[in-house]
This record gives sequence, C-alpha cells and structure tokens, in this order.
Amino acid sequence: MKKRVMAAFLSVLMITGLIAGCGSKENGKTEGKGEESKELSLLVDTTNAANEGFMAIVDLAEKELGMKINVETRPTSTEGDNVVKTRLASGDMADLCVYNSGALLNSLNPSEYFIDLSEQGFMERVDDSYKQAVSVDNAVYGIPFATSRGEAVLYNKEMYEKYNLEIPKTWEEFLSNCEVLKEAGETAVLGSFADSWTAQIVFLGDAYNLMTAVSDFPEKFDAGEMKWATTPEGLRSFEKLEDTTPYYNEDYLSMTYDEGCDVMVNGGAGHWFIMSNALSAMYSLYEDMDMVNNLGMFAIPGDDASVNGITMWYPVAIYGNKNSENQDAILEFMEFYISEAALDAYCEATLPDGPFCVKDYEIPVESYAAVADIQSYIDAGNYEPALEYISQVKGADCPAICQELASGQTTAAEAAQKYDEDCAKAATQLGLEW
Amino acid sequence: MNRRRIYSNWFMVPAMAIFTVFFLIPTVISLFFSLTVWNFDSFTFCGLDNFKTFFSDESLYSSIINTMIYAILTCVLKLVLAFFLAVFLTSKIKTKNFLRSVVFFPNLISTVAVGITFSALMHPTKGLINQVITTFGGTSVDWLGNTDIALYSVILTDVWKGVGVATVIFIAGMQSIDKTFYEAAAIDGASAWQRLKAITVPLSRPAMNSVIILSFIGGLRTFDLIWAMTGGGPGYATEVMASTVYKQYAAGYYGLSTAGNVIMFALIALMAFPLQKFLLSKEVD
Repeated sequence: MKKRVMAAFLSVLMITGLIAGCGSKENGKTEGKGEESKELSLLVDTTNAANEGFMAIVDLAEKELGMKINVETRPTSTEGDNVVKTRLASGDMADLCVYNSGALLNSLNPSEYFIDLSEQGFMERVDDSYKQAVSVDNAVYGIPFATSRGEAVLYNKEMYEKYNLEIPKTWEEFLSNCEVLKEAGETAVLGSFADSWTAQIVFLGDAYNLMTAVSDFPEKFDAGEMKWATTPEGLRSFEKLEDTTPYYNEDYLSMTYDEGCDVMVNGGAGHWFIMSNALSAMYSLYEDMDMVNNLGMFAIPGDDASVNGITMWYPVAIYGNKNSENQDAILEFMEFYISEAALDAYCEATLPDGPFCVKDYEIPVESYAAVADIQSYIDAGNYEPALEYISQVKGADCPAICQELASGQTTAAEAAQKYDEDCAKAATQLGLEW
Repeated sequence: MNRRRIYSNWFMVPAMAIFTVFFLIPTVISLFFSLTVWNFDSFTFCGLDNFKTFFSDESLYSSIINTMIYAILTCVLKLVLAFFLAVFLTSKIKTKNFLRSVVFFPNLISTVAVGITFSALMHPTKGLINQVITTFGGTSVDWLGNTDIALYSVILTDVWKGVGVATVIFIAGMQSIDKTFYEAAAIDGASAWQRLKAITVPLSRPAMNSVIILSFIGGLRTFDLIWAMTGGGPGYATEVMASTVYKQYAAGYYGLSTAGNVIMFALIALMAFPLQKFLLSKEVD
C-alpha cells in the first residue's frame, strides 16, 4: 500500500513538473508585454560589441531618450550565424539585431523578420550605396552600425623607409617589395589565418580592380552567366592570393587576428591585408598614436599603374525585429543612432576607421594616418564597395577556400572552381536559376 | 504460451511515445527534407540533387574520407594503448589506484578545453611542444598548420583524452577473469607472454568489443575536438562529416546539411551493426 501511494505521488509530481516546465516560457512572454516599455534588447557579436563608439551611443541613448539598451552578445562567424538564424526561426530574436549587410542578409529571409525602413524619414540621411547593401527586393532594412572601412594593405612606413621602398602602383611592384623584405629577413606579409576570415582579404579587396575591368560582373554573376574560374579578371584575384604564399610569417596559420594586431603595431611585419578597423584595435592595445601612425594604407594594386582605387567594406547593420512589441521604440532608437549627436559621441569615444555611411556628416576629429590615406582615395572618387554589397550571391565557404589556397594546398584555378561551386549552392538556396 | 502475461504492453507506451516523438518522427522528417531545398518557411523538392552535390564536391566528400581515417585510427590506437595500460594497471604494482586515476583524468576535462589547451601547446612558435623539441636540437613541427599532419595531431589528442575510458573498461574485463586460469597456466610453466596471449586476450574479448564499438562510433561522429582545435582547417584538411554538416547549416544550405546528416546516419548504421555482429560472434565463454 505504501508503495502504491508513493508511486501515485511521484507520477503526479512528474506530470505537474512537465506541465510547469512547458508553461514557464509562455508566462515569461506575457510579462514582457507591458505598455510602452523603454527597454530594448540588442543582439550583437562579440567583436562589434567591443566597439567603444557603439557603447557611447548606447549610453547617450539612455541619457537623451531614457531608453535602456540591453546588449546581448553572440559569437562571431559560423557559430554566430547559427545563433542568429536559430533565434529568428524560433521567434526568439532580440528587438534589435546586428548582422552583416550585403549578400549575407539575403540568407536571413529579411522580409519575414525585419522592419522595412524604406518609408522612414531618417533613412534619407543614409548613403544610397549603403542603402543598396541593406535592401532586398526594394525594401530597406538596416542602418549602419559603425564606419565603413578600407579593405586593403596596411604597410609599415618605417620599414618602407629603411629599405627604400615605394608604395606599389602595380601588383608586380608589390611582389618585388615583398621580395626585398623577405631577402632582408623581415616578415613581408603578415598572415593571421587562425581567424580564417582574414584569409579572404586579398581576394575580396581586389574588387576595385575587377569592377573597373569588368563593370557588369556582379549582374552577370548573379544571373549565372559569368563565373570566377572563367573570367580572367576574376581569376586574377585568386592568383594574387596565391602569389602571397611565399611571403607569410612562419606561424601564419596559427596566428589570430588579435595577435596580428599586436605584431603589426609593433612593426613586426611589412604588410598586412586587412580592414582598416584593425587600426582602432591596435590603438586600444597601447593607446599610442605614434605607433598606429607608423602604419599607412594603400589599395590592393592592379596590373595597370594608371588604375588605382580602394575597395570599401560597409559596416554591419542594425536591423529591427518586425515581430517585437516595441516597434516605436525600435524606430526611435534607429533614428537616434544615425543622428549628428550620436555620431559625434561615437567619434569622441573611438577614432573612426573610415567615413560613416551617412550623408553630409563631417567627422569632427582627426583620425589615424591610414584613415587619411583611405580618405584621399575616396576624395578622388577611386573606390568601389566590395562585391558582396552589389552582388546577391556570396559563397559561405569563402574563408576556407582562401585559407586552403593561401596555404598552398590548391592552385588559383582550383580555388576559383571551388568557389564557383560554393556560390552555386548559395544560388540554389536563394532560388536563383543557374 | 497461455500463461497470463504479468505485465501489460501498456507499460511500453510512455517510452515508445517519447521515442516516437523525439527520435522516429524527426528521423523520417529529415529523410524527407534531405530531398528538398528548404528554409524555415518553404521547401522545394529537388530529388537526389543534394546527395549528388555531396558526393561530387571535393570539399564535402573529402570529409567522409577524413572521418574514416579519424575513426579507424583513434579506435586502433585506443585499443592497443588501453590494453597494455590495463595489463600494467591490473598487475601487482604499488601505486595502482593512483595511476588508475591519473589515466582517467583527461576524460574528466571538457573536450573543448582539451582542444584549446592542445592547440596552444601545438602552436608552431610559442607552443610548449615545439619549444621542448627545439631545446633538444630538433626542428619544430607545425602540428596544426601543416596540412599533412594536422588531422593526425587531432587524432593523437583524441587518443590522449579517450584512452582512459577504454582502459577502465579493459580493467573491469580483466579483473573478472578467474585467477585460477593464471595459476593453472603458471603451474604448467607458461611464460608471461603466453599467459597474456592465451588467457588475457581471449577472455577480455567482451571488454575489447565494447572498446572497439564505443571508440569507433565516437570517432565517426566526432566534432567538438576538431572544432576546438582546427575548425576543419587549414582549408579543408581536417574537415569531418559532423563539422561539414554544421558548416553547411550555418551557411544556410539547409537541404544540403540535412542530406549530410542522412549520409552520416547511414554510414554509422551500415558500419556499426555488421561490426557489432562480427565482434559478438568472436566472443568466447
């Protein structure tokens, strides 16, 4: 008898436990539904969360709008993609989501999840080419999270002076500079491929040269008419990456981006193919302006000395969750984020790594020397956005393919072939007819 | 057979319900979705295209080969090492209990922590392993950067971590061997090697089988250690099935990644069942 009572008691306990377990989530949701809450959650990856300019705007928003932003962080790259996609699909996304602009936005199916901002007045302030990078089918979804960046070569001025080198105008000149540095026992090109995204920069940063040579490449590529492997100018970008293989530091496959920043700012290498936001990361290491100003930036050279322009990388975007209850607060925050006051606060907290994608906004402070180099390309009109802001298709395996090529496992032609196959997968997923 | 059954079949219902909802239905659904290109709100049927892509794309099918190398090598190494460790640890030595704990310790650490630690130890310039090698006049080895040996470096780490469990299983098996066999053999004048070969090996067969099955299946579905140490790189040099499936999913190629899962499921099932059958048929009493 005792046993039976015990058993009955335990089963009741288990069932109530199950029901309670299932119910708790529901309860949590209804609580959040209060009236006009001035609290917003924001999901951002750890690298961008470390941006002091962004934090300054968040703080200012709390002061000026009385709006509390709860910043949630997620990992970067593959893990982060999974977090974002899973949270979107399960309806668990934060009010604001920071994610890539450009081709990768397509893969999130934004019309389903994000607020269309095309009717919002504040979007007039955003640069048109940036708007294009956060648009899918005529709907505009995001505002720029930070400054744009140059995707080019950081070089060590001291080393250039010591070995009497000139800023290269062609790829041949660049390679002969590397040869000089290598002969002298210096690290000619810094590799930080433990973070595999850094392996793509040579290839992606060559977009200006590709676009000036074949201006309709993105359209034809999206239509499936042009391929990387069969377009000589496209293949050239992979060949350049292949050319760099002999010049890397010994531990280039084990060095992380953070370690790379440290080496570069200490003058440990001649060149580094990277994005200009590395400058801020370097400055934050030692807070020594002279060390950072020893670095300059030049665009990835083409084959013709008369064509010389830089590839620009657009910032990630802040997207508003369409299914959140706090629509008004989200829009209010977005409008504030790109206001003059907010951008000033950004510049005060951290020096900009390039121009903002906001019309008629003059940066009020003097930034790093390399940023002035970038600005001079832009002032001369010699710049193009990276390909993924124009084209819809970007193969997701680009980092691994570039890493494989740069470590000498494949040839440029094989890598281009592989990247084409990878893009074909992405096109299939997007429902394009290839 | 007319005896009244003591237990009603209804006792099976709770377990079956859970099994059906959480295992059977998802398996069938994933079989279906592996034949489609899907995202979270729609799907298009595409026949066997995903499987064709998987087997024709070098970066994908090379992961199947790597998985096989990984599973077989870790299994064999663990088996051999664990066997001799177990023989040593069941012999008459003083610090037996202490040594047994030491062998088992690596298994208590989280795999990701092990991976991060070892990738630091194997760093080509700053890693401890290479510093020791160069101190003794050797040339340093790029353990995880050299594409020819990266996979083997991860395999060695896996063996280091997993050999403890295999050893414990072997110890349990060996302790259950009746001591009288050894006494009889000793009286008959059998040498230590003969005793090992004629008594210990055949009679620890059940333990050996458990070790083989566990470490082989563990090797086939390995993910965490690879991910923590190399992320599948450099390039695709250490990509295994599970990491490929994960990457395809993260890239948003959902159909392809589902197909990868189905292939992995089929591969494990096709190898594990015959293997187990074969091994069990070899057991002696």
